[in-house]
Amino acid sequence: MLGRQFPNPLRRTGASVAADRTYSALAVGAAAIAVIFVGYLIWQTVAQTGEVWTTFGVWGFLTGTEWVPTPAQGDALFGALPFIYGTLMTSILALIVAVPAAIGIALATVVLLPKKLRGVVGGMINLLAAVPSVIFGLWGVTVLVPFLKPALEWLADNFGGLSIFGWHPFAGPVTSGSYLISALVLAIMVLPIITAIVREVLLTVPRDQQEAAYALGSTRWEMVRHSMLPWARSGIVGASALGLGRAVGETIAIALLLGNTPGIFTPLVGPGSTLASIIALQTGEASGLQLSALTALAVVLFVLAFAINAVARGIVRRSEGGKSSKGGFVSRAVTGISGLFDRGGKDAAAESRTVSPEATAPPPPPPREPAVITGSASLSRSRRVRSGLGEGVVWFSLAFGMVPLILVIWQMLYLGLPAISGSFFTELPPTDPSSFSGGISNALMGTLILMGIATIIAAPLGILTALFIRDVAKPGTWSGKVGSAVGFVVDILLGVPSIVVGLIVYLGVVIVVGHFSAWAGGLALAIIMFPVVVRASDEVLALVPQAQKEAAMALGAPKWRTTMAVVLPAALPGIITGVLLGVARAGGETAPLLFTSLGNQFFSTDLNEPISAIPQLIYQRTIQVSTPASLQLAWGAALVLVAIIFILNLGGALISRRSRSLEAR
Amino acid sequence: MTDGQNPGSAEITAPPAGAEIPTSSSMPHGNATLASEAPTSDALPNSQDPGLSVPMRTTDLSCYFGKHKAVEDISLAFPEKTVTALIGPSGCGKSTFLRSLNRMHELVPGAYNTGTVLLHDQDVYAKDTDPVAVRRAVGMVFQRPNPFPTKSIADNIWSGPKFNRVKGGKAERDETVERTLRGAGLWDEVKNRLHAPAGGLSGGQQQRLCIARALAVEPDVLLMDEPCSALDPQSTLRIEDLIRELKDRVTIVIVTHNMQQAARVSDYTGFITIENEGEPGRLIETGLTREVFGNPTHPRTEAYVTGRFG
Repeated sequence: MLGRQFPNPLRRTGASVAADRTYSALAVGAAAIAVIFVGYLIWQTVAQTGEVWTTFGVWGFLTGTEWVPTPAQGDALFGALPFIYGTLMTSILALIVAVPAAIGIALATVVLLPKKLRGVVGGMINLLAAVPSVIFGLWGVTVLVPFLKPALEWLADNFGGLSIFGWHPFAGPVTSGSYLISALVLAIMVLPIITAIVREVLLTVPRDQQEAAYALGSTRWEMVRHSMLPWARSGIVGASALGLGRAVGETIAIALLLGNTPGIFTPLVGPGSTLASIIALQTGEASGLQLSALTALAVVLFVLAFAINAVARGIVRRSEGGKSSKGGFVSRAVTGISGLFDRGGKDAAAESRTVSPEATAPPPPPPREPAVITGSASLSRSRRVRSGLGEGVVWFSLAFGMVPLILVIWQMLYLGLPAISGSFFTELPPTDPSSFSGGISNALMGTLILMGIATIIAAPLGILTALFIRDVAKPGTWSGKVGSAVGFVVDILLGVPSIVVGLIVYLGVVIVVGHFSAWAGGLALAIIMFPVVVRASDEVLALVPQAQKEAAMALGAPKWRTTMAVVLPAALPGIITGVLLGVARAGGETAPLLFTSLGNQFFSTDLNEPISAIPQLIYQRTIQVSTPASLQLAWGAALVLVAIIFILNLGGALISRRSRSLEAR
Repeated sequence: MTDGQNPGSAEITAPPAGAEIPTSSSMPHGNATLASEAPTSDALPNSQDPGLSVPMRTTDLSCYFGKHKAVEDISLAFPEKTVTALIGPSGCGKSTFLRSLNRMHELVPGAYNTGTVLLHDQDVYAKDTDPVAVRRAVGMVFQRPNPFPTKSIADNIWSGPKFNRVKGGKAERDETVERTLRGAGLWDEVKNRLHAPAGGLSGGQQQRLCIARALAVEPDVLLMDEPCSALDPQSTLRIEDLIRELKDRVTIVIVTHNMQQAARVSDYTGFITIENEGEPGRLIETGLTREVFGNPTHPRTEAYVTGRFG
């Protein structure tokens, strides 16, 4: 054989190996740092719960009905049951309202609305998802409770005697904090995520299924009822379960609206308390056994949310049935990137997949009663009534979703706009609660700093972790298994209630370091942002065409160069979108900041000191709601916060849309 | 090197000595220059003639997807300045075999190879061989044109040298762009829009751009995986002309479904097929293209080239 005496020009050079190894090491390192740090926080958290288990026993704590941190005499008592009950009761009541509404809105945006309106309505529902929890809390306390309290009193007066196995759901006295109003607000908050998933499931209903129903002479409603809904049933169940998973972790709005009185089978027009709200309200001042008990509640909440999410994902994934090759819509919906990456393609697909009766009838029929056109004489009265009723329910639920959105936005503009002026951005909040002057400079600066810290930590780690999962780990080898495991950890993180993140950073960082700080708050927000960035990046990395990667490899590009020159540029717009959405979501959070960055009434840029933030300022003002002046400051702050989040979301949507039009060329 | 005789069903036949090469008269789109540089009967794919330069050859190359064996024990040689066509029915493993020649096959999760591939007598699958260096020396053109759509035409051409860290100035860059685009017969069509995105070209132009892009790295061997299957007839003829022009400079291996195409462009042909369901693809017959098409020795080959199966 010739040529062996010469150095092999095909031989691997040190530099080429080193560059590829460096890239792999960076990706592996990022994933490892994230997993190890999360593991450390979990370990700190679990260690903290030890005292509760030894004092009360696991079963004793879970079934304990008393929560008496500082008794007049005797020992403190801690039991989880009232909070578990409160969490499940508010969440289930919310679902009873939200699920039918979500189905209705999804149906409206898939079949019933004129095509031009579908995107607009869908976009507005997505906007609901961008409104932070604390603003719903503020709206609930200042607008909804005064407005609905007479209705609750009417319920108590007329149905107070109603008894279900000894439980009097409507027995007075009516209080400001109540299950019913909390659940209503909660329903509005989980509506977008349920709607998004139901919508995606409905879009998978095959065209021929719909045509079959129309060909048999169905009205539009009958087609929906007998063709679309049965097809989408398991997806709807899964979407509801995902909504439940979101609802159980909801903290701030509930803390403001439920009245914080633990109890079991107490009246629905009266107060209650949930796992998340008690943690938010008591952790700041708790120590010893009480802190241990609160941590145990967080563990219970985490397990509850995890179990619900796992079941929900299983159901939705089965209903997907492997139809979608990329990512799956659960993670898209959960990360909030649904509708951003696929809007163009999805809507086009939606039009091809959903048949509107207009398509079958030559003259453009009036949109409300298209079926009458095809055979008005033969359509029986009862069928017409039933179809009308069915569609009526859909229109009603559409209104249910839109009205609160419009009300919140109107309220924010009406009360918040007068507060906005130049000095609103440069001055501190007034010390005199009746003064209309002053601003939110400290909170604005704080929010920007916290978002900056979160981005600096979460964006590189998240992108590199996504590269590890999608680009470095090889399926079918051990590294592929590690990649899947990391993906699993990310999915779990995605479902961790934000108050739990706040608590574990408090235990793992604030207590260890010894003081509250901007660092701790930014870190907590980074933990919320990280899984969003990973999942969004992972989604777009999966979309980079294999042919493009092969083109580069076939030209002799090493792995890392292929990634830098082909994979990242193609995925970059999507990744930036993911980062923007992640930081928007983190920036609206209040719960994780309560005992990490704490808040600060003065202007501060010191990262080692407590720092203010807009959501927290709104929360404080809502608790101490007293004067019209402080209310106006809160609504002004809400307006600024929503503007920031809206701009980030819009930026993300525009970037991903623009990149799509580039690809289409 | 083995003598090309496999113990299995693969039968490598040597055409009789003095066999005539395809000429322009016998091939509808023959090129007049073909005769002057056509291989003689000595230069058979499995020849061991030391006087003949054979940049690439395989010995008992098998390709696996996990436990599934897709291709079994193929031994072939690809002499310099020739075009070798690999034909066979869909799913017979000819593309997999081709992708094994520049180590693209192993990019599929779970995929691996046994046997040897020699490039200038150096083992492509040796432990200390860098797959990146192999792909640099063995270019590839894919079934569907895959230019980088947002990069400009010029940047597409220069991407290979850039990946390989060639530090060329503007002059060298421009020279390479013009030379390779001319080589691919695309220069006149795109010279006024070299900085327009490559995604705006037609399918046939994109494929020629991909060929030019592959040439810019100056490979010794160019692999073409059904390069015309996504193109219209006009573009197909254009690419076929190009293939005949290019073989002066680079050894070409082309996988094709189109038997007329194999007859038009190639000097040698290998016929690969799966004989029974579930078996791997094996090389049934190889030799001068004219022999394989005109006088096949194996009944399977005859059935395939006359259109009776596959």
